[in-house]
Amino acid sequence: MSATARALPNIRPQAAEQEDPREHLMLDPKPRGEMNGMVLESMRSTGWRYWLVTLVLGFLVLTCFFYAWYYLIANGLGVAGVNRPAYWAVFLVNTVFWIGISHAGTFISAILRVMKIEGRRPFTRAAELMTTFGLVQAVSSVFMHLGRVWLAYWLIPYPNERGLWPDFHSPLMWDFLAINTYLLCSTMYLFLPLIPDLAMVRDHKTGWQKVAYRILSLGFRGTEGEWKNLHTAMNIFAFAIIPVMFSVHTIVSWDFAMAMRPGWSSSVFGPYFVIGALHSGMAAVAIVLFLVRSTMKNMKYFIRPEHFNLLGKLMLMVSMAWAYFYFNDYLVPWYGGDKWEQILRLFIEKGPIWWLWYVLLICNIVVPWLILWNRKWRSTPWLLALTGVVINIGMWIERYVIIPETLTINRMPFTWRIYIPRVEIFLTIGTVSLFLLLYMMASRLIPLIPVWEVQEGQEAHMLRKVGKAEIPAVSEIG
Amino acid sequence: MPESITLLALFEDIDPAANGIQKLRSMGVTDDQMNVISGIPMPGRVLGRPNAITNVSRIALVGAGLGMLSGVALIYGTIYLYPLYVGGQPLYPVPMGWIVTFEMTMLGLMVFAFLGLFVDSGFPSYTPKDYVPEISDGKIAVLFKCDSNQERPVVDALTKLGAESVKPAEARQL
Repeated sequence: MSATARALPNIRPQAAEQEDPREHLMLDPKPRGEMNGMVLESMRSTGWRYWLVTLVLGFLVLTCFFYAWYYLIANGLGVAGVNRPAYWAVFLVNTVFWIGISHAGTFISAILRVMKIEGRRPFTRAAELMTTFGLVQAVSSVFMHLGRVWLAYWLIPYPNERGLWPDFHSPLMWDFLAINTYLLCSTMYLFLPLIPDLAMVRDHKTGWQKVAYRILSLGFRGTEGEWKNLHTAMNIFAFAIIPVMFSVHTIVSWDFAMAMRPGWSSSVFGPYFVIGALHSGMAAVAIVLFLVRSTMKNMKYFIRPEHFNLLGKLMLMVSMAWAYFYFNDYLVPWYGGDKWEQILRLFIEKGPIWWLWYVLLICNIVVPWLILWNRKWRSTPWLLALTGVVINIGMWIERYVIIPETLTINRMPFTWRIYIPRVEIFLTIGTVSLFLLLYMMASRLIPLIPVWEVQEGQEAHMLRKVGKAEIPAVSEIG
Repeated sequence: MPESITLLALFEDIDPAANGIQKLRSMGVTDDQMNVISGIPMPGRVLGRPNAITNVSRIALVGAGLGMLSGVALIYGTIYLYPLYVGGQPLYPVPMGWIVTFEMTMLGLMVFAFLGLFVDSGFPSYTPKDYVPEISDGKIAVLFKCDSNQERPVVDALTKLGAESVKPAEARQL
């Protein structure tokens, strides 16, 4: 052994350290026609597993979503565990949870587009779809909680029979405006980059399917003017939807924080809720990407470990930020020593369902921090998806602690009563099933991979020789 | 005077397309007589073309203004019409006004950006158009007008530069 090698005992051969550039999607291009074919095949070819899962989900949606809702309507809110003082129950837990899930979809797509993070390209649409389908569940949960859902139009801000307009001072009114703005804008934001891919599908279909995709693609050809207009509109959306996203969950948090209740009245609730939404939403993106990659044909080419690595890093950062805000929200009331805050804290930490609090801390902090620091682990699709499942369980429990548990303890002890969910359990399963079913149906109807964005990225990437090494480089074409 | 015809030249790659455009220009075809149709966005500078002009941002800005006005009208106008005194708060609470005004401004901005795309691109349009489906498979089409007596030299020049085909454009149902 030479003296140099002895002095550097941990040195490894250079060749072993160099990774194959073709591991990166952007440096492993395929002809556009071939990529189109792969995406179209993934929409067309489904195995028995797909239909089995669809059947199970369909059954769950019919029983746990539609039948359970019908049962609730037919018998009234009495069949739910809703009581005084836990009025909002699991219905609002689900609403906040699904709004949170919906956040990351658009946020990931928009922020990565604004920052020009190249790794975003293959999975932006899969993430954006979550927003629309997540918001459907959030809105359904509000309607379920109404009980008399046929009077839902009372929520719309229009003058009543006495000619009085709704009170725009109310946080619930801000909610109506913010959630609807977000739903509408997210759906438009989903549709914009979809237009060229719908045109691509149109060019490859025949018969009635061609007619359907012709209508949906609006007559898009890909002229210079059309691309310029599309690019400008997408840029406007990417920049504008980020503050809207922040506003939506901040306003959702104000539904709680504006009430002078122990556990809720906190100035940190806005950013804490936003981070919480991103925490659960990003975890959900990991789950969805894993499912898409493992159940759909050809997806292993488009969605690679590098994308899970990127997502894992984001999840770790968000988990740390969430822990920071949680600690902030915990420390200040604890230090303040308000009597009701102390009683509430004792109830959460040592009450009859004390274990929920520990589970939420383990799921949201311990598990992600243990797993996501390691590049190899976070790049492993199933492990990242599993971490995503754990985080989402933790975040659902966090909302449960914030809503029904906190509602239980108020300043009137004679009203305290433990909340036990009943039909809400089925409705929760129903919303999860409907979300997944809608996603599976969408995977057959629209290309989940934005092929034109992938090709655009591949055109911009190259390997540049620096000394002895070949370094991936990207040029800004657009 | 010779008749004007529209031709569609199909290229496999960006470089030959850019060379073809340069050649067309040297043969007297002006930029406004050409259009490039591609499966990915091709900024003007990549193909040596002037940048396309868009009105989407202007339309979006108008939308933002209208949205802001409607937000102000909702928060202050409705209260002006029907004064509601709530919880000792001022009749015109400025911080609360910001929330509704912000949401309506952003809604206006994005809805109008979306509509702006439709207006500026002429969407939806289902009439037959000059197009070939190979474009969505990665081919680049240069659509241009020239005099009929120039057809042969133009076809020869573009074929020599790598065009896969140069044919009279055919409007077809997309």
